[in-house]
Amino acid sequence: MTAIILLMPLVLSILVFIRKSRSFGGWCNVAYAGTLLAASVCLYVKPGSFTVYFRTDEVSILFLLILAVLYLGVSLYNTEYIRHKNGESAGRHALYAVHLLLFAASMVAVILSTHLGLLWVFVEATTLSSAYLIYFNRTEAALEAAWKYIFICSVGIALAFVGIIFLSMGLGHSDSLFFDDLYKNAKNINPFWLKLALSFILIGFGTKVGFAPVHAWLPDAHSESPSPVSALLSGTLLNAALLGVIRVSTLLKLAGLEGYVSQLLLLMGFLSLFVSAVFVIRIENYKRMLAYSSIENMGIIAIGLGIGGPGVFAAMLHLTAHSLIKASLFLTSGTVEHCYGSKMISEVRGLLHRDKITGWLWMLSFVAIAGIPPFPLFFSEFFIARTLFANGSIVYAVIFFLLLTIVLAAMARAVLGMCFGENRSAEKNAVPSEILTWLPQTVFLVLLFLMAALPDGLCRILQNAAAGL
Amino acid sequence: MIDFLIVLFGLAMIYIAGTSRIEAYVRALFLQGLLLFVLVLLDHGIMRVPNLVFLSFETLVIKAIVIPLFLIRIIHKNEIERELQPYVPNFYARLVASLIFGLGFYAAYWSIGKAPELRPLYFGTSVSTIVLGLLVIVTRRKIITHVIGFMLMENGIFLMALSIAKEMPFIVALGVLLDLFVAIYLFGMFIGKIHDFDPEIKVDTLTLLKDSDK
Repeated sequence: MTAIILLMPLVLSILVFIRKSRSFGGWCNVAYAGTLLAASVCLYVKPGSFTVYFRTDEVSILFLLILAVLYLGVSLYNTEYIRHKNGESAGRHALYAVHLLLFAASMVAVILSTHLGLLWVFVEATTLSSAYLIYFNRTEAALEAAWKYIFICSVGIALAFVGIIFLSMGLGHSDSLFFDDLYKNAKNINPFWLKLALSFILIGFGTKVGFAPVHAWLPDAHSESPSPVSALLSGTLLNAALLGVIRVSTLLKLAGLEGYVSQLLLLMGFLSLFVSAVFVIRIENYKRMLAYSSIENMGIIAIGLGIGGPGVFAAMLHLTAHSLIKASLFLTSGTVEHCYGSKMISEVRGLLHRDKITGWLWMLSFVAIAGIPPFPLFFSEFFIARTLFANGSIVYAVIFFLLLTIVLAAMARAVLGMCFGENRSAEKNAVPSEILTWLPQTVFLVLLFLMAALPDGLCRILQNAAAGL
Repeated sequence: MIDFLIVLFGLAMIYIAGTSRIEAYVRALFLQGLLLFVLVLLDHGIMRVPNLVFLSFETLVIKAIVIPLFLIRIIHKNEIERELQPYVPNFYARLVASLIFGLGFYAAYWSIGKAPELRPLYFGTSVSTIVLGLLVIVTRRKIITHVIGFMLMENGIFLMALSIAKEMPFIVALGVLLDLFVAIYLFGMFIGKIHDFDPEIKVDTLTLLKDSDK
């Protein structure tokens, strides 16, 4: 099973290259996504492995399920997206489809890796495979975004590698970088190198997660890439990179350096919240607004992981919900951009009037990201705040709420302005009415509603993941 | 002998820190590639033959010959100005570079107390090289110097990985993957002139994407 989901995209890529057709590439992605979802469910029931290097465990299965659900929805939307995308040659579309397949496959590999070195290699692979996707629109801005993305992330990945070298230096008599061996030997690793390694790996993988102050690539890349790609970047890539951070911080916790880890995570988390609050206030571009919201939510997850205890469960809940909501928001933003031909908030008015479905999707997704009950972000933020209070860090809790409120207010102003008001702009493009342009988002939102009840199954997955950290 | 080579490797960094000719950077990359090749041969420990062959190829052919030649071609093809105007005057840049080396060695000797297995010369030089590579990235204006800065940093990482090659040879091989990025940059810049991408672009002009500063 694990072998299939790792090797299938390679076979499909070759097929896409041979048969350079626009729709074929899109449907190949759907086929892979469907297989991935089926396989993930099977792997949840019965964990599997492929060689010693790839295996599912209680943490990775959560990430894998999120990836599979999101990727299936996004690839379905994507078939419509590329159908509306005129003026690109069949070869470019084939390249796009192949990169999308490889991007998804490298994320699967990151999630399933049991070896730190291998995980690093696949994080690098995600960067290489997604750079073309960001550049797909071939505008000057897209080029700049792709260049910044690949350069900043490559420096980050190089620093993460330095962290891995430091970790290897501290290993002493053992020389294995398998997570199992690392966890078993955690107490024997030289704590000096361990701390140094975590700092570098946190900065390195943190660059890809979008933690401030190393988030500079994120708003550009998210706003300039095609909407399905933005949805995948925000909903799945950030998670995959976060898994790298989580794996290494678990190692430090096992080595008894819990305080050090949580200090660093809290620092980066609050910094991310602060940065997004500052930038989102005067935001003019709605895709950039969503990107800053991703930085904010990654910050919240870091805080949840940093405070530990119930916070870890909350972080996992937040991660799951954020992925679904952000994918829904980015996909809807693609439809909005198609209708109005602009990414500027001020150009988009009267969305509800123009198209009911898109307008409501945009509104509901916003309500979900704002953390208004019954959506699950309310519970995760509530759990985190409660844990902060329980730990006696009242100041942290106050800052937390303050920054959240600022982001919420700024986003509310933008979203409400877009949804209501008079439709001033001239009719640019007809509203796409195909079912696939709104069904994936609707399913994501329905899933979120169901999540709010925290059904037992989901609770168990989340609890297992939190316990595995 | 090994110590001497490492010192030479570090001197190359101090040399380019205070120079503004772009060829000097390429020459330093060539020199460092060559030094890394000799270091791989001298200091590989009990590395297996395929790994050794792979690393020698990587250092000698890729790092010391292919990349510098490619850079020279890009410079000629795109008619890049040879002189760079640094953000920081050269004299100070060299001073800062020496200071970073001082701090690097201080850090190395300081950490020896906590980690006795450390090899201070290797560690000090490689840490300083990585920091200086980052410094080149933030203090130079052109995209091509950013890429060169990344390569210098990468050389530092390679040197650091070599210092533990005896215990974990595969770490060194993994580090080679960073060259994939370099390949993409060079490829991008090489075909760039044909399309709309110019490696002589100053990063100051990469301001299309930003949030409003009204």
